[in-house]
Amino acid sequence: MQRYALNALFCAAAVVLVVLAQTGALDKYMLTVITFMGINCIFAVSLNLVNGYMGEFSCGHGGFMCVGAYVGSLLSTAFFTNSKLFGPALFGPELAPFLFPLALLGAGLAAALFGLIVALPSFHTRDDYLAIITIAANYIIISLVENIDAIGGPRGFSGMKKVVNAMSDVADAPWMLIWTIIGLFVCVMMIYRLMTSTYGKGISAVCQNEVAAEIMGVNTNRVKIMAFMVSSGLAGLSGALYAHVYGYVNAQAFNILKSTEGLVMVYLGGMGSISGVLMAAVAFTLLIESLRFVIPWLNDILHAVNLLPVGYELSQVWKWVIIPLVLILLMQFRPEGFLGNRELTHVFPRLRRWITFR
Amino acid sequence: MSLLEINGLTQRFGGLQALSNFSFRLEERELVGLIGPNGAGKTTVFNIVSGFYKPTEGDIVFCGKRVNGLKPHVVTAMGMARTFQNIRLWNDMTVLDNIRLARYAWLDYSFWSAVLRTKKFRQSEKAIEKRSREVLEIMDLTEYAAELPKNLPYGLQRRVELARALAGNPKLLLLDEPAAGLNSADVEGLIRHIRWIYDEFKISIWMIEHQMKVVMSLCQRLAVIDFGCAIAEGTPEQIRQDPDVIKAYLGDGAL
Amino acid sequence: MEFILQQCVNAMQWGSFYALIALGYTLVYGVLRLINFAHGDIFMVGAYLAFFISTAFLAPDGLFGFSRELTLALTIPLTMIFTSLVGVTLERIAYRPLMRRGAHRLYVVITALMCGLVLENGNLALLGASRKTLPVLLDKSVYDFGGIAVTNLKLWVILAAVLVFLFLQFVVTKTRLGMAMRAVSWDKFALPLMGIPLDSVIVFTFVLGSGIAGLGGMLFAMSYPVLEPYMGAMTGWKAFIAAVVGGIGEIRGAFVGGFLLAFVEVMVAAFLPSTFRDLFAFSILLVILWQWPTGIFGKPATSKI
Repeated sequence: MQRYALNALFCAAAVVLVVLAQTGALDKYMLTVITFMGINCIFAVSLNLVNGYMGEFSCGHGGFMCVGAYVGSLLSTAFFTNSKLFGPALFGPELAPFLFPLALLGAGLAAALFGLIVALPSFHTRDDYLAIITIAANYIIISLVENIDAIGGPRGFSGMKKVVNAMSDVADAPWMLIWTIIGLFVCVMMIYRLMTSTYGKGISAVCQNEVAAEIMGVNTNRVKIMAFMVSSGLAGLSGALYAHVYGYVNAQAFNILKSTEGLVMVYLGGMGSISGVLMAAVAFTLLIESLRFVIPWLNDILHAVNLLPVGYELSQVWKWVIIPLVLILLMQFRPEGFLGNRELTHVFPRLRRWITFR
Repeated sequence: MSLLEINGLTQRFGGLQALSNFSFRLEERELVGLIGPNGAGKTTVFNIVSGFYKPTEGDIVFCGKRVNGLKPHVVTAMGMARTFQNIRLWNDMTVLDNIRLARYAWLDYSFWSAVLRTKKFRQSEKAIEKRSREVLEIMDLTEYAAELPKNLPYGLQRRVELARALAGNPKLLLLDEPAAGLNSADVEGLIRHIRWIYDEFKISIWMIEHQMKVVMSLCQRLAVIDFGCAIAEGTPEQIRQDPDVIKAYLGDGAL
Repeated sequence: MEFILQQCVNAMQWGSFYALIALGYTLVYGVLRLINFAHGDIFMVGAYLAFFISTAFLAPDGLFGFSRELTLALTIPLTMIFTSLVGVTLERIAYRPLMRRGAHRLYVVITALMCGLVLENGNLALLGASRKTLPVLLDKSVYDFGGIAVTNLKLWVILAAVLVFLFLQFVVTKTRLGMAMRAVSWDKFALPLMGIPLDSVIVFTFVLGSGIAGLGGMLFAMSYPVLEPYMGAMTGWKAFIAAVVGGIGEIRGAFVGGFLLAFVEVMVAAFLPSTFRDLFAFSILLVILWQWPTGIFGKPATSKI
């Protein structure tokens, strides 16, 4: 039984979270932060598949999140709400809590399909040139969305609040938190199981020596397609969750800055380490949220001791100076991140007595 | 039917003619060598045969099937395996995983069964694990199964690479300079080892080697190339006395 | 017809900006095999420096109260010098320690990307959202070539791009320093053995690249005087596309790629809604890289087994 101790602990933690949210012990802000933590975890872990395990440098991951966010939103509004765009609801709002995964699945599949834009050129190119292609893909996706006027174009798309409300009407529960927890579980299990199978280890083989992989029988093209599609599909899932938590999407929310957030989380945690990246995603979300309070606080202090000129206020823009600086310092002093390519159970072998993964 | 048949192989890289009109036959259960001075195009031959390069002209028939233009992983699945001049192992994976991956071309489960851990997945993984352990046992590597190859000494890395090549049950094994970087005591061991593999696995071996001691004592037949052209073929004894070969290795003045 | 020719002139001007930035990308890449993602923001820094320097000099508000001509004459070299200082500083404090340690190239690229973000957001955080406007330094005169209007500024911009290109081509192919630069890209380790000071060559490369970006930034600010911190981001990315399309590391490639991209963009914007411009620019990049994985002039890399 001891071997399942930590597994049970995680499950219990998830249940406690949901109960706390349900009883209102967690206020709305805390609930949102925790949900975003989960979404960031999915986003980072999915990027880790390509940037960590496969060793490619994809810096356009936000684009796939964008596809997922839009497709997921469009599907769910079409399924469960009466909208101007799609007319009456396809399934009716009372089915929302049961069929919502369908919208998530659609979002994942659509994003996975867009992953092909990056996967196909990756047959011939690697490194810098592939990085460029991923950036281009990010811009192309955003530009594409902004040019489709039917889904709001640059104004963005909304209506997902109605879907979430429809779910709450059927049964009062913190639905988005629940879906995020399930999504995170699916994502982590999928990548963990993939990477511990011989099939998935082909990805590591491509990373470590592509020539040897190709000659020893690994179909490198298929491996790349698989890795990019799984990675972007899961990013799409995170995007769909994001859109429903926010209730509103705008393509510019998924630009290169979003992709950079993903990079920060992956390199902070360690390339090729699921537990490291999960820790990094949590830490990163906390950092961003805490800066929201720390910056005004710092501003007051610095003004109080007359270190800042009158009329100059420290703004939230500093957040985007501090985050890149963190990564720069990280690259200088601990480029392997928290855990390098090892898992927590490798760093602390004793943990293995308490946890079982299969 | 020959195991491997190469007809009129020509390879150009831009303006450079790396190989011109090279032909060769390899019968089943043969142990033959490919020798030649540096830059003669030996590795190019291997790269084409294993599918890494597409030949400019010529035909390669392996097990009665035309293989030029096929992807390397397809050729591997047909029963060809090779090692590299400079060791190419997956350095951040354990030795056992390195061997396991050699079975990749024969994986019979899909992505979804890996993620859902279906029965088929568990059976295949078990079979792969069993086979890999066997190979490690045969190659006397069991104690290093959990090590990372990059932490092993050079000679052992070579052995792991050989084990990886053998894990796929090849019909034909291509060895690219297996003795490179070994000292003379190791070379003795390598010669015994290769002969043992040849007998134990009942395979055909084609090797590139610079050290005359290795090819002369192992190979039944030798092909010699220079500047991309075949200049001689025959038993080690014949090759030793062939005037063209001596000229290629030592220059005109030697005669 | 006149409309198209007029668009061509505009494209030449944009192409010049792209080429000026792309040359910097390509220089650094050619020598260090490093995509200096901060380069677009160095261009932005150049524009801001030009603003500060010229307002400091120009009468009636400036400290010195110089005339327009004198201000322009002083601002150009000073902007280039200060911008190259910024570029060299980045290399010194961010890239060099990493490369010294032999860190993976990826880490240097990420560092460069982050430096760019620090520059743009740092600028926004320090100077606020108020937009700066570059004072008029050059009297505008319009020449009319059979119905096509060309301002003197446009001519200067195009001329500057061509001159810089010729200058760089000369430096890289004909001078000792240029030879050293090419040597670094071939073999970084053999170079010190041949008695070539590696660090000086790298610093020189950054001075050249950033100085040119500074010039580009200044000319850009003179053409479109309203400055904002993110102006370097998009233009920088586009210039980077130009460099890649031409074959990164190739000076000719950056020059040709810059004009090619500008022509495509201007023509797309001329006949389609302008929101399609970026879509086309990036899609073209994708198609070109798909077909020619190393750009138009780039040499394919060979992997040796």
